[in-house]
Amino acid sequence: MIPSPPLAFVPQLAMTEPARAALTSNLIVGALLVGLALAIRSIRKDDVWREAFQQVWARRKVPVVILGLYVFVALLDSVTWVGASGALEDQVAAHEARSVLDRMFTGTTEKSYSAPFATQEFYDASALRHPRRHPLGTNILGQDVLYMTLKGARVALLIGGLTSLIAIPLALFFGVSAGYFGRRIDDVVFFLMNTLASMPSILLLIALIMAMGRSTLSVCVALGVTSWVAFCRLSRGETMKLREMDYVHAARSLGVSNVRIVLRHIVPNLMHLVVITFVLMFSGLVLSEAVLSWLGIGVDGSWGQMIAQAKDELSREPAIWWNVTAAGVALFGLLLAVNLIGDALRDVLDPRTLRERG
Amino acid sequence: MRVVLAVSLVLGVACTNNPYPEKDDGKKVLYAQYHEPPKTLDPAVAYSTNDHVVTGKVYDTLLEYHYLKRPYELIPALAEAVPEPQERADGSTAYRFVLREDLWFQEDPCFSLSGGETRRILAQDFAFELMRIADPAVNSPVIDPFSNVRGFRDFASRLKERRAADPAFGRLPVHEQYREAGGISGVEVLGEREFEVVLETSYPQILYWFAMPFTTPVPWEAIAYYDGQGGRPAFADHPVASGPFMLTRYDKQARFVLERNPNWYGLRRPEWKAPGAVFPEVTGLAPEEAEKFAAYVGKPLPFLERVEYRREKEPIPAFTKFLQGYYDSAGVVRESFNKVIQENDLSEEMRAMGMDLERSVVPAVFYIGFNMDDPVVGRAGGERSRKLRQAMSLAVDVEEYKRLFMNGRGLPAQSPIPPGIFGHDEEYQNPYRRVDLQRAQKLLAEAGYPGGVDERTKRPLRLTFDVPDTSPESRLRFSFWVRQWRRLGIDVELAATTYNKFQEKVRDGAYQIFQWGWVADYPDPENFLFLLTTEMARSVSGGPNTANFQDKDFDRLFAEMKVLPSGPERQRLVEQMRSILERERPWIELFHPEDYALTHAWLRNVVPAGLSIPTTKYFDVDPELRARLRSEWNEPVLWPIFLLFGLAAAVIAPGIVTFYKERQ
Repeated sequence: MIPSPPLAFVPQLAMTEPARAALTSNLIVGALLVGLALAIRSIRKDDVWREAFQQVWARRKVPVVILGLYVFVALLDSVTWVGASGALEDQVAAHEARSVLDRMFTGTTEKSYSAPFATQEFYDASALRHPRRHPLGTNILGQDVLYMTLKGARVALLIGGLTSLIAIPLALFFGVSAGYFGRRIDDVVFFLMNTLASMPSILLLIALIMAMGRSTLSVCVALGVTSWVAFCRLSRGETMKLREMDYVHAARSLGVSNVRIVLRHIVPNLMHLVVITFVLMFSGLVLSEAVLSWLGIGVDGSWGQMIAQAKDELSREPAIWWNVTAAGVALFGLLLAVNLIGDALRDVLDPRTLRERG
Repeated sequence: MRVVLAVSLVLGVACTNNPYPEKDDGKKVLYAQYHEPPKTLDPAVAYSTNDHVVTGKVYDTLLEYHYLKRPYELIPALAEAVPEPQERADGSTAYRFVLREDLWFQEDPCFSLSGGETRRILAQDFAFELMRIADPAVNSPVIDPFSNVRGFRDFASRLKERRAADPAFGRLPVHEQYREAGGISGVEVLGEREFEVVLETSYPQILYWFAMPFTTPVPWEAIAYYDGQGGRPAFADHPVASGPFMLTRYDKQARFVLERNPNWYGLRRPEWKAPGAVFPEVTGLAPEEAEKFAAYVGKPLPFLERVEYRREKEPIPAFTKFLQGYYDSAGVVRESFNKVIQENDLSEEMRAMGMDLERSVVPAVFYIGFNMDDPVVGRAGGERSRKLRQAMSLAVDVEEYKRLFMNGRGLPAQSPIPPGIFGHDEEYQNPYRRVDLQRAQKLLAEAGYPGGVDERTKRPLRLTFDVPDTSPESRLRFSFWVRQWRRLGIDVELAATTYNKFQEKVRDGAYQIFQWGWVADYPDPENFLFLLTTEMARSVSGGPNTANFQDKDFDRLFAEMKVLPSGPERQRLVEQMRSILERERPWIELFHPEDYALTHAWLRNVVPAGLSIPTTKYFDVDPELRARLRSEWNEPVLWPIFLLFGLAAAVIAPGIVTFYKERQ
């Protein structure tokens, strides 16, 4: 009789849910880093782009560094794994996927509000567990506000980035096909664009999120669906111009297929617009999410939600100002950095502004 | 020139922030605020406190509560006396109501249907309203307490059948439909001023229902006339009533006005000195309290000429207006709490303004409930689930919640029965309603979840907490409970949905944990304990027992307790029921809320009522004092205007100078 193998030898293939979540998060981070590396490599090869980015760096050193910091914090919060290492907030946490950031701030919770660097609670003067350890104070549930604010960076970058990744390809696809092929396709795309543009976007957003249910992805999809129109219009016009270029005519008379022309001659010439739009759209999207959070349908853990939760605290007496200030400054810092970089990028990349500056 | 005129207008004539017309200054007008407009003013349907703001004042009832006595006591209002139950040979119980003579409705155009401007109130009008409650088309929320009335359900089904069978019948005016359907057999009209209500079984609490606007007299003319067609409002927006006040203006979204009803019996016949129409004798109050009312005892009601309600959507501006003297009373908003209340009393600043603070525990209970139909937390899990519920109950720290979210207001609940209601026991300490994490962990391990970890999945036990609020602030409040349970290692997920979606989930039985509350309709433990009977279970009858708690012993004790008069025997039964709840834990009782009401010095006779009962007719204001204090508190601050003009001049002047220089 052959003894059946003891259970311990069966390899554990089934993964638990948090482990899966951790893996997904890490895979996304990995993919993003690889993508970034590839992008940097191809930029370094291309003279025009390299020069452009060098110019941007020369003009906007501080904003680029700040943006880099935000990205770094977001990465810290994205690299996650399951397992208890060090202190634990509670017993459930041992089974959850927790990020580097989560682990750094474990066990910093107080009982309720405390002001920045305080040694005692804000309202009832009882001693804190970690006096002078909260540079931005704690919120009503005693969570460290610095921790909550740093966690918001990941959410903001996720919303901005993911939504752009949804909206820009969509806009590019419709814009280029409308501009290149014209006629019926143009009519249909234009009709679609006009219909979307004539609807109040905030109502459409609310309706979409209500229909899809509240989650980060559905907020991103809803924002993507409502924000592609402007870029679509731009890329359509640009394509119509490029279509009449001599080299496109030449390619067509040589019998090159339409798809090939679009991919080789049209889209690469739209890339500067893509980069500019991506950066400028990014800040708009992060702001839109803050508005949605205010309405109670945003993403959990975002700065918009922090501000919405803290809105009545300001009118308290004495006022609780650190919550709303921390989230507001973090939001402001990111948006300012991104807008400054976007501005510089436009100056460098957009032929129109080049012309204006002579 | 026009600018100068506008400036002088701002500085001179219109220099006041008074939102009310000046001609009202010396009048006895009460200024109050409301947040949400009433949904309906139909007395057979209105059941929320927002609706009662109006219906409680305009609709008079057969009985009402003594204004000052606690525990609550019923006194006759439209009836001549509080009826005694009469046991009949066939096991039924009858209550005979005798109306006062010479009662009249308010004047209203609808009475043109019977050829007049108003008419006398007859016993038939009470029977008509009871038929309306039974009528399935009216959709009254209180069918249940009345279905004990003989023939009540029969009448409803007869009506439904006739309507389905004969479309012509359905088009008749409602009162003719009722007449043809034959009325409710247990509501016998014995004369113009007399009728009898016959109950199949004993139900002493029925009298409380005759102190609520549900059983007010309603004229058939009003239902026939106010059908919402041909420019006439619907009856739900246009009360025709007999109470001390009548609704004279109703802009739901902005303001409404109630004025004295000259046809109210207290005003028509002050010589009666009816108990509901004069200020009552003061008994059982502290001497300094009693002194406040001494001047009013025996005086005819109402003291106010008019009540003005304005809508206030935001709490902070509303409170500011109160501080300026433009509202006579207000609750304490959380944001201003520390300014208004210091060391459990009014702050110096507020006391200097002559304000008064009334604190009262509301006869209500808030609780976290478990869905007992759920396989994990509910009755199917047997001993295991019971221990889980007990453990979760032991982890919930209400004191801390009160401190963080309620400014420390409220009384931690030990059982469903709030103070002021028979059966509440101040000494009672529920062994599962204090924080004891060690015991909770032990129970959890016994339930098969050591350290919160489910032994089968090797993962923390995952439960869902459904909340009917998606606002970011509420998320903080509910995550407080979640964090309490996480201390035990239980992973509770918050599922925030809109209120409608939540109700849908409740209807479908797709929920595990929820938070809800109940406010007393009347001062009797029956009104709280019925929330946990099998008969009322959501999954059995769609009743308000959302926890779907079903326990045979509990039901048996409830049936016994319900019909007993309040006394030691009843107390014993309540205690037995309490111990079943203590062990079974379908609810984690959280707190009985506490109301803080601020009133200005010129508002008199305000006594916290707790129950949603009409009290406005007892209030009085001192308009002279109000006018004086208002003008003291609202001295116009003019320097910002001058500063603004100065700045504007400083900006414009260089421009003008340059302009003339260049021209030369």
